[in-house]
Amino acid sequence: MTQVERKLPFPFKKIAVAIAFSPRLEAILAESKRLQDIFNSQMIFIHVGEKNLQQEQYLKHLIHRFGLEHSGNLLLWEEGDPVEIILEKCKEHDIDLIVAGAMEKESLLKYFIGSIARKICRRAKCSVLMLREPSILSKKVLKIVVEGSDHPKTVHTIETALYIAKMAGSLDINIVQESDVSKMALIRSENLGDTETEKQREKVFKEENEKLEDILKCTDCGNIKVNIERMDGKPGYVISSYAREQKADLLMLNSPDTKLNFLDRVFPHDIEYALANLPCDLMIVHSRVEE
Amino acid sequence: MNHNDLINLLLCIGIMLLTGRLFGEFFRKLKMPLVVGELVAGILLGPSLLGRYFPILDEIVFTTKGNVGLVLNGITTISVVMLLFVAGMEVELSVIRQQGKTAFKTSLIGLIIPLVLGFFVGKYFYAFLGESATQNNLAFSLFMGTAMAISALPVIARTLMDLNLFKTKIGMIIITAAMFDDLIGWILFSVVLGMINHAGNPYGFVYTLAYTLLYAILMLSLGRVVINKSLPWAKRNLSWPGGILAVSLGFAFLGAAFTEKIGIHAIFGAFIVGIAFGDSVHINEKTRDIIQQFVNNIFAPLFFVSIGFKVNFIQNFDIQIVTIVLALAIISKLLGAILGGLWGGLSMKESIAVGFGMNARGAMAILLGTLALEAKLISPQLFVGLVVMAVVTSIMAGPMLQYLITGEMKVGVKLGEIIKISDREKETESKD
Repeated sequence: MTQVERKLPFPFKKIAVAIAFSPRLEAILAESKRLQDIFNSQMIFIHVGEKNLQQEQYLKHLIHRFGLEHSGNLLLWEEGDPVEIILEKCKEHDIDLIVAGAMEKESLLKYFIGSIARKICRRAKCSVLMLREPSILSKKVLKIVVEGSDHPKTVHTIETALYIAKMAGSLDINIVQESDVSKMALIRSENLGDTETEKQREKVFKEENEKLEDILKCTDCGNIKVNIERMDGKPGYVISSYAREQKADLLMLNSPDTKLNFLDRVFPHDIEYALANLPCDLMIVHSRVEE
Repeated sequence: MNHNDLINLLLCIGIMLLTGRLFGEFFRKLKMPLVVGELVAGILLGPSLLGRYFPILDEIVFTTKGNVGLVLNGITTISVVMLLFVAGMEVELSVIRQQGKTAFKTSLIGLIIPLVLGFFVGKYFYAFLGESATQNNLAFSLFMGTAMAISALPVIARTLMDLNLFKTKIGMIIITAAMFDDLIGWILFSVVLGMINHAGNPYGFVYTLAYTLLYAILMLSLGRVVINKSLPWAKRNLSWPGGILAVSLGFAFLGAAFTEKIGIHAIFGAFIVGIAFGDSVHINEKTRDIIQQFVNNIFAPLFFVSIGFKVNFIQNFDIQIVTIVLALAIISKLLGAILGGLWGGLSMKESIAVGFGMNARGAMAILLGTLALEAKLISPQLFVGLVVMAVVTSIMAGPMLQYLITGEMKVGVKLGEIIKISDREKETESKD
């Protein structure tokens, strides 16, 4: 294993922020300042595009205005393909978290072709935070919804959620266990009676609950209250809908096991349900231990 | 249809449902798939046994002739369309897409080897299967390949659940591989049936393949969007569950009618619509359950019992054909899974377990065989061989998997217990 592969998703020592001269630039920088203060991180701002004196001065002014002139912070101004450059720079600087602004929903065509933020999400080798509505004004307490699926990566996602909750002063996190019960219907099609199906379902749920309890037992939750919710349906879609209904501020999902491509949008990968229609800010937690 | 025909038809359907269920439940108690009992009920009622001693019953009630036979045939055709719709709902494209390298390699080789071996035997050793060379040999060879490659997802899922393997690595590989096999298997079989329709046309194969793929692509892209938009509307505006049942089966029959019209068999239309429905986020467990219960408890028994009316299982039982088909099915699936599993990084024992898991052909192979028999692609003897193979492979999957996995599972349980005990001890110590 290389040095990078051994790293846990947190602490977020180095945060890269993808910036563009859009109307949301100021809000993104305000959010960056909050992240810098919460996680005590080194910030690396990456802008891909032709260098322009006027824009450069404006950007420096904003960095100064938002108090981001920390000695370790960097401003990288590169030219080329935005996604490639951002991913390359993140690898080069050993980044822990990439932050990018993203629209809640994109046109069907753009979604299938892929916007910059979403492309980064699908390909990044570190955690990615997509800010749906970056704001200049400070948010109060983060309401976090986190994936609790039966997957080896979940332990790191939950640990990262607890880390963020502690650092950001949240009082609780909501873990959603998605039960893909379509397979239960498959078994039932072999003419399982009601009692038998219920027994099988309970067996599966019990196993999943025990695994989650084991994770929580081994994790330092501190004063954070952990709420667990079990929901049936299509994985990815269910948690995304739940985050929307609950008006969550941050949805945290496991990173995909493989790089996602066009076909994963046609036959949606679990994460694609959230990417297609961002319910709130979205963090894809890249669990680098498993690789 | 006259007064007497109607009475005979109603009698027939009533007796089919009752005997099918009784025998099904009996065999289920013996830990065998329900379909085995339904088949036995059909054999008992049909020309193989009851018809032999009471020919009058065979002639007017449990018949494939006359008005009653015609209506019964219509009912079983509808049943096949619905069964394929349900089979399609079980295939989850996102699960196939998200499979890891191990599952992909196992699925691929586990599909290719039985397909190639089946094709090879069909192409060069057809005489051993009781077939003559004058038939559409390419279609027959492709059919043999498909029959060897197909698998029975529900039987497999149930076996894995019984053995507590459903959520394990091996379990997921088996499920994914079975879904992949079914998807490719039914596409191929539709091409085979299309080829029979276009027999004599030199471009028949290309024409059918192109139409099949085009329909599949269109239905799984545009069709899926339409379905995804229709379902929330149906939920809001139609009564539940009747509305959803009508919408889903309505789409299935429309799809079936369309594919039949363009020269691909109706089953393919229903199968692809099933995939599109099963993939929708708006289909929850209850909806799936209602559709499956409706099809599997009413229409599936009618279809499987009626098989016994079409073929005399005793007269057409040929030990040579049965042995060859059974051996070919088991060897090809095992070989495919072993090679695929080893390539994908599984151990020999795990690969064999995957092979036996995927070996269950169940209702799907029987369905495939019935359609081939109706299309006059195979002889009744080969059909009987396929039915026996489907039953035997389904029955042996559970015990074989248990035998192969139990050792490893026990170690797993013991390790888990040790960890839990040590955790408990730590907790007690800390409390002290």
